[in-house]
Amino acid sequence: MDKAEQILAALGGTDNIVEIEPCATRLRTEVHNSSLVDEKALKAAGAFGVITSGSVVQVVVGPEADTIATDIEDLM
Amino acid sequence: MTTGSEAPTPVLDVIAPTAGQVIDLADVPDPVFSAALVGPGAAIDPERSANTQALAPVTGTLVKLHPHAFIIRTSDGAGILTHLGIDTVQLNGDGFQLHAAEGDEVAAGAVIVSWDPATVETGGRSPIVPVIALDASTEALTVRHEPGPIKAGDVLFQWSR
Repeated sequence: MDKAEQILAALGGTDNIVEIEPCATRLRTEVHNSSLVDEKALKAAGAFGVITSGSVVQVVVGPEADTIATDIEDLM
Repeated sequence: MTTGSEAPTPVLDVIAPTAGQVIDLADVPDPVFSAALVGPGAAIDPERSANTQALAPVTGTLVKLHPHAFIIRTSDGAGILTHLGIDTVQLNGDGFQLHAAEGDEVAAGAVIVSWDPATVETGGRSPIVPVIALDASTEALTVRHEPGPIKAGDVLFQWSR
């Protein structure tokens, strides 16, 4: 799997995503069920960090965030 | 930028993109920046002026330009992120004026964006401006400015390359 596929899977898959939005260095994702988010797998996919606050999961991926977000949207 | 007559600079000066108060990155109200997850750096609590300018902190290519944040990459590959306020991506560019375009070659001190930090603040967001050395090691950075007032263009930190 490429990075986008790994991140999407670790976020619980397409069905779990409400919205995904790139910031300068992170993906801001709103999910239906944050317990389906696999933080370890996100880090294994290259995330520097994961910050979860309620249904909002911020995946810190660095400056390529917008490219990864586009790739993820293409998969959805 | 490659004149061939100059040796590579071992230390990159990163200048303050805007005037205000220098604060420790650890005090930025955002867990990604305060924990230096994308790199070490410093932050500036900007002056509240309706036409505050954000300057290029280094000379290089404007590789990313969002209204609320931009990244400049130097000729030797150092990336510097300047982020205008916290959670300001949610403003969708409202209140930010761009003075450059993505892909431009810019000189340190060139005006990239102007905005009003007070508007960011009244919208309930922190106007603090983190300046980040992307992917740098903490040891490679020397903050040149104590917490306190700084002028735009003064050296904020140095990055040993």
